[in-house]
Amino acid sequence: MSIRTGFEEATEAYQAPKLVRLGPNLYGACFTLMKMIPARFILRKAERDGKLESGTVIVETTSGTFGLALAMQAVHMDRRLVLVSDPVIDERLYRRLADLGAVVERVPAGAAATVGGYQAARLERLEQIRAGHASSFCPEQYSNPDNPRSYATVAELLLECLGQVDCLVGPVGSGGSMCGTVTYLRSVLPECRAIGVDTHSSVLFGHADGPRELRGMGMSLMPANLDHRLFDSVHWCTASAAYAATRQLHQRHALFMGPSSGAAYLVARWWAAGNPGALTVVMMPDEGYRYQDTVYNDEWLMAHGHLVGPPPAEPVPVDDPTRPAGPWTAYDWARRSYDQVMAAGSTRVP
Amino acid sequence: MRYLPELQSTNGHHGRRPAQFEVGVGYAPAHHGELLQGVFDDGTGRLRRALVTLPHPQRGSRAVFYPSQSHWGVVGTPELVKVRRAAILALREFCTHPAPAKGGQIEITSDIPRGIGMGSSTSDVTATIRAVADYHGVSLSREEVGRLAVLAECASDSIMIDDRVVLFAHRDGLVLETLGHRLPPMVVVGCDTEPGARVDTLGLRPADYDDREAGVFQVLRAALRRAVATDDVALLGRVATASARINQRYLPKPNLELLLDLCLRNGGCGIQVAHSGTVAGLIFDARRPGVEEGVRRCLSGIEEMGLVLTARIGTEPASADRQAAGVAGVAAVAAVAGAKAPAG
Repeated sequence: MSIRTGFEEATEAYQAPKLVRLGPNLYGACFTLMKMIPARFILRKAERDGKLESGTVIVETTSGTFGLALAMQAVHMDRRLVLVSDPVIDERLYRRLADLGAVVERVPAGAAATVGGYQAARLERLEQIRAGHASSFCPEQYSNPDNPRSYATVAELLLECLGQVDCLVGPVGSGGSMCGTVTYLRSVLPECRAIGVDTHSSVLFGHADGPRELRGMGMSLMPANLDHRLFDSVHWCTASAAYAATRQLHQRHALFMGPSSGAAYLVARWWAAGNPGALTVVMMPDEGYRYQDTVYNDEWLMAHGHLVGPPPAEPVPVDDPTRPAGPWTAYDWARRSYDQVMAAGSTRVP
Repeated sequence: MRYLPELQSTNGHHGRRPAQFEVGVGYAPAHHGELLQGVFDDGTGRLRRALVTLPHPQRGSRAVFYPSQSHWGVVGTPELVKVRRAAILALREFCTHPAPAKGGQIEITSDIPRGIGMGSSTSDVTATIRAVADYHGVSLSREEVGRLAVLAECASDSIMIDDRVVLFAHRDGLVLETLGHRLPPMVVVGCDTEPGARVDTLGLRPADYDDREAGVFQVLRAALRRAVATDDVALLGRVATASARINQRYLPKPNLELLLDLCLRNGGCGIQVAHSGTVAGLIFDARRPGVEEGVRRCLSGIEEMGLVLTARIGTEPASADRQAAGVAGVAAVAAVAGAKAPAG
């Protein structure tokens, strides 16, 4: 009943997903930069609550899109921002962050070998930086409850546009987007299913920590914002499967998204096809520009052993969430806590 | 949907005869609590308390304004303090009128039960404002009546905005959003969940919703917007149920889950409550085959639980003869101070 108006600022425009139909009962929530939702929400709330004085430095540990989102919002707010990143930060992202006025600190390359990898080293450096400033604010995307809370806006859009969502599928990293969106959806639709998509050697749902190639999902440390009890099932995808699905998403639907979107699309497409009466929504966190030289480059895929044909048609169901078994596996998590699942696994006779 | 025809002065001679021979008449319907109540963004980033009212057009209050050009005293029954305040505020609005009344007397006739969340005081207040306006031959906009009603009683449901479905900031007297033209076709079976209990709405502490709940309200608002736009009673029922459940933390209804279960088992869509009262309503899709049977079973279920039935609301327009026949029930009289007296 109201007319459309322009956006107040760039970050407001960036946070709104486009809802795109991908099949008879499948929609994609396609984001330019999904992390803009928590970044904008947390910084604006901090400003409202008086936590950002004029000299307050915003500090955060990130190598990815959350840092970009913070840097963009910091421009609107005219605040200083220091980001602590891996040594391997993408050069183009680094230049873009610098152009937005952010200071990027890289932890030493040797930190990868220590417990917790780069993520632990980054947190340590972050504390050092905070100690050196009289006033600092850290958004803490991994533990700040405002991260999941910020996703009420996505649930709002899905309910207004679709009315019914039977299943939400999405990649999991900090836990914010999936836990927040599904919690808010369930305030109206308690039966809505949640399927989390993780990657091999991520600790989120029980794998042992290890090197991971797939960016934008999976973690080496367990984030407090991940509420395992919200998930009905969990899938694990390798980088190869995710890359192939990302290309299919582009080729079949003209959607130019990043590989975490591809992994989620792989799972959502399979689930929607097997449940034709259920409306499924898949979260697609970012666009493909950062991956043009990799995921969207056949020579690179070939050189790195990823050009192995189409992804599997269906996942391999596993009884033990701690054991990788092939490029795409699925586990019936059944809305249990992490401890409940791990305890159940340890009592099973091999 | 319009529940009521435009209110007219009973003598039908607006502004023709000298004012001292006229009276003003106003009517306002009851409501049956809310479909949604919480805190909502007003468009500027500020959260305001607001609600979506479920109108109950079969009951209402009628006010008759007897003007006085000499009366300055304030007498009347103490429970009509809000009515007196509304009359004074309305008189002030018309003090620049060519022939304003200085004061007068308001007579209220109402068949709305008091203190259980069916809007008896908002209805009295709205009818009063309309009666004073009617006497002066002025037609106030619905929003203006809403603003005056909130001034008179601090918080007010939105029964005066009877031509559309609105999200109404009930402490500010502001329409935050028009959700649609009318509610979808539904049947609501209402009951008093705590027969004998009375809620003092002025003494009730406002709910201190937390951040998580504020997010839920944002989502519920969008879902209700869709439910109204697409005539989706099932979705509307889910929204009302979620709102009722959040309210359990502030003013719990003892039998809420039992009533919800009764409703869903009989083909209903959910439950709505008076967020500052004791009534609750079981919501049915009026278009659903077998709805009458489901309603009947719920009626007997409610009686078996020992609860008192309060309403059976259909979204068909209210019978027009009801208003013409006048409303029977509680009658009360309040004398009103002159227009220059301070409003409380």
